[in-house]
Amino acid sequence: MLACLVLSACATKKVQNQMQGDVYTGKDTVEYLASGVPDRVFFATNESVLTTASRDTLRKQAEWLRKNSKVNVVLEGHADERGTREYNLALGERRANAAKDYLMTYGISANRISVISYGKERPVDSGSNPLAWSKNRRSVTVKAN
Amino acid sequence: MIKKITQLIILIILSTTQSFALIEVDITRGNLEPLPVAVSPLSSDKKTNDKLVKELKIENIGDKISEVVENNLKNSGLFNPLNKDAFLQKPDIAHLKPRFEDWSLIKAQALITGKVTLNNEKLRVEFRLWDVLAAKEMMALAFTTVPSNWRRIGHIITDKVYERLTGEKGYFDTRIIYVAEDGPKTKRIKKLAIMDQDGSNTKYLTLGNELVLTPRFNPTNQMVTYLSYFRNLPRVYLLDIETGVQEVVGDFPGMTFAPRFSPDGKKIIMSFAMDGNSDIYTMNLENRIVERITNHPSIDTSPSYSPDGKFICFNSDRSGYQQIYVMKKDGTNVKRISFGKGLYGTPVWSPRGDLIAFTKLHKGKFYIGVMRTDGSGERLLTENYYQEAPSWSPNGRVLIFYRETKTDSEGKGFSAKLWSIDLTGYNERMVKTESDASDPSWSSLLSN
Amino acid sequence: MTKNILISSTLHLILIFITAVSLPFLAKKPIDLPPIISVELIQIAEKTNIPYAPKAKKIIEEAKKKEEKVTSEQAPPKKVKKEKPDAVPLPNQNLDKVKKIEEKKQNPEKIEDEIKQVSEFEKDELFDPDSIAALIDKSKEETAETTKKNSKVSQSQDKNVDTLSLTLSEEDALKAQIFGCWSIPLGLPYNENLLVRVKLELKPDGTVINSEILDHERMNKPGQGFYKVLAESALRAIKLCQPLRVPSKGYERWKDLQLNFDAREMLEG
Repeated sequence: MLACLVLSACATKKVQNQMQGDVYTGKDTVEYLASGVPDRVFFATNESVLTTASRDTLRKQAEWLRKNSKVNVVLEGHADERGTREYNLALGERRANAAKDYLMTYGISANRISVISYGKERPVDSGSNPLAWSKNRRSVTVKAN
Repeated sequence: MIKKITQLIILIILSTTQSFALIEVDITRGNLEPLPVAVSPLSSDKKTNDKLVKELKIENIGDKISEVVENNLKNSGLFNPLNKDAFLQKPDIAHLKPRFEDWSLIKAQALITGKVTLNNEKLRVEFRLWDVLAAKEMMALAFTTVPSNWRRIGHIITDKVYERLTGEKGYFDTRIIYVAEDGPKTKRIKKLAIMDQDGSNTKYLTLGNELVLTPRFNPTNQMVTYLSYFRNLPRVYLLDIETGVQEVVGDFPGMTFAPRFSPDGKKIIMSFAMDGNSDIYTMNLENRIVERITNHPSIDTSPSYSPDGKFICFNSDRSGYQQIYVMKKDGTNVKRISFGKGLYGTPVWSPRGDLIAFTKLHKGKFYIGVMRTDGSGERLLTENYYQEAPSWSPNGRVLIFYRETKTDSEGKGFSAKLWSIDLTGYNERMVKTESDASDPSWSSLLSN
Repeated sequence: MTKNILISSTLHLILIFITAVSLPFLAKKPIDLPPIISVELIQIAEKTNIPYAPKAKKIIEEAKKKEEKVTSEQAPPKKVKKEKPDAVPLPNQNLDKVKKIEEKKQNPEKIEDEIKQVSEFEKDELFDPDSIAALIDKSKEETAETTKKNSKVSQSQDKNVDTLSLTLSEEDALKAQIFGCWSIPLGLPYNENLLVRVKLELKPDGTVINSEILDHERMNKPGQGFYKVLAESALRAIKLCQPLRVPSKGYERWKDLQLNFDAREMLEG
């Protein structure tokens, strides 16, 4: 019984550590474009506003893109499974564009960035829980060439 | 009230008899059990059967057609086809002259009989519908077709019977186009598939090389519009089912999605997303002219025309959250119609024109519901972990939608299936598909 | 004349209200309750109904006109066949009406898939136009006679309360029986007027000699297809229930009986 309690407490704590509000802050699914340059940013439910952490990540990406001027990128916008398919396609597009706009304000040319939305079609975590959904609400920067 | 009273007075005066006022008894209750129907196997002679065994690889064509009818009637939820073991009369004799006492003995209220013959390589199927208690024939029809079409004959017979016994058109000689799914949740392979309304005759229209979503029929059921990720460019496509020819709809510099045909089939209405903003556009398929219908910094999507083509209902988050709106076909007079708690999406105008079906998300549950076109009279028909995208049967009686299951702690156990439910909220049932399935769209009646 | 109708209708209304009010009790408690005559009821009847009586007369006349129109519109009954089940003609012998319904190719495969509906050999309506016409005539006669009756009714009102209705237990038995026989068609629109009135002529043992649908003109109205379906279900219920559980005494009272089938309550609830 006690063990159970402790375990569940740990589990909750773990989730809390990986989420702030309902925005994912963990590193499980994150890949790197280069050392220290995370490829993705995360969003709150139904939101396309960039968090402080997201802006930080995108500034790193912009810096990396400036250094590697031959690299073009695709921003892939995604949503979690808790929405209707068509709305989520629009939402994914909105998220990817939020990331694109931020990269552009840091001097990356629009010609180097394209955007695609997958809505809820390509989750990274197939779980049906708040943590999995938070990992799936994301915009991923992918090298296009 | 006044009307009622005057009706009463008329009633009294018209119904008085010679010496006494007529005694009236109000019958306000009855049973809501499905109507017991006996579907006698259609009779087919040995010669016909032998020939068709070779051609169609089915043993007894009469039995098979009556099975199609029986299954349709049962799935409608309005009829209860009785067990054939209890039938006393032979099919051929019942078709000529039913012994009504026998049929009423097994509690049948209606009886379907029929006969199958082969004439010049053509199948000829006749059937009769009998009112067992009134001991009368209600309907008699015959059809000829190529033998391979035998299932459709079963569907058409069901449509005729359904219409005669319910007063509404049927929906059995119809098809459903959907997305067949396979593979892990994170990398689903999706193909366009088409099948008969009862789940038979499945055919795949794409190979699964690219992601495809939200197929919808045109009014004549020959064309399909859908979203394809061909070459990683999500665009609305048009597919001619017969020829297999596909083309991109319009030349948009970004994602187009959520397509649907106008009721006259001449336009496709869809969303176009650009720079983080989705608005609704139409493209005329005859002259290729593109028109912008909404212009708002919010997400506007899931448009659906009213059956008269004069209005459009759509989904927008301009209030801050997903809600349902109605506007004139030119985009003016936008009015929000959903005001209940929760989020609303995927509005679809009913073929009868009086209702809009929708998906609702509230407190972590998904609902399929209907409301009147002014937003009043909201009724939720079914609740589940995840379900969305209702599509109407052509008679506006049944909704088909898809449902996804919750995965376990390891992310396993995911499945997506088609379900249907009656407008009354009764008769919820899974629609058989060969694989997992989503995004169903119901065709109109193929015949008549 | 007008006055008589007026008085008669008011009195009848009182009767109807009494029955209507006592019915819900019936449905819940199958115990023999004494008939309740409430003062309130009578007041309602007087207040609400008298002013409308002249209007009602107009409506009745309109209704009569309408019915006449219906009679004249009724095509002469086709000589299709009398409903003798043993005389069913073989389809092949009866291919007079050949109707072809061809439809466009829909199949994904390019197969020859047209289905032709070659014959519609007969479409038998459940209700004989002859009998409908007869019914209309009869109802006209009846209205003509109401004036005569009215004076009688108004004089012997108290007596009529006893003689013109079944006792609650009698009515209850009959209702319970028919409730069990009536399969309400499930496909009906739930927001329409779903009242079907059937007039019965009964034998002393409860066997039905004759049954007539009173609002028959609704049967063939466009958009009212469900009404015909409902009417047919009511007739099936009566057939299924035969002989009806009628009281053992007082045949004269109930030899003509009207059943009002109303599906609304069931379909809404």
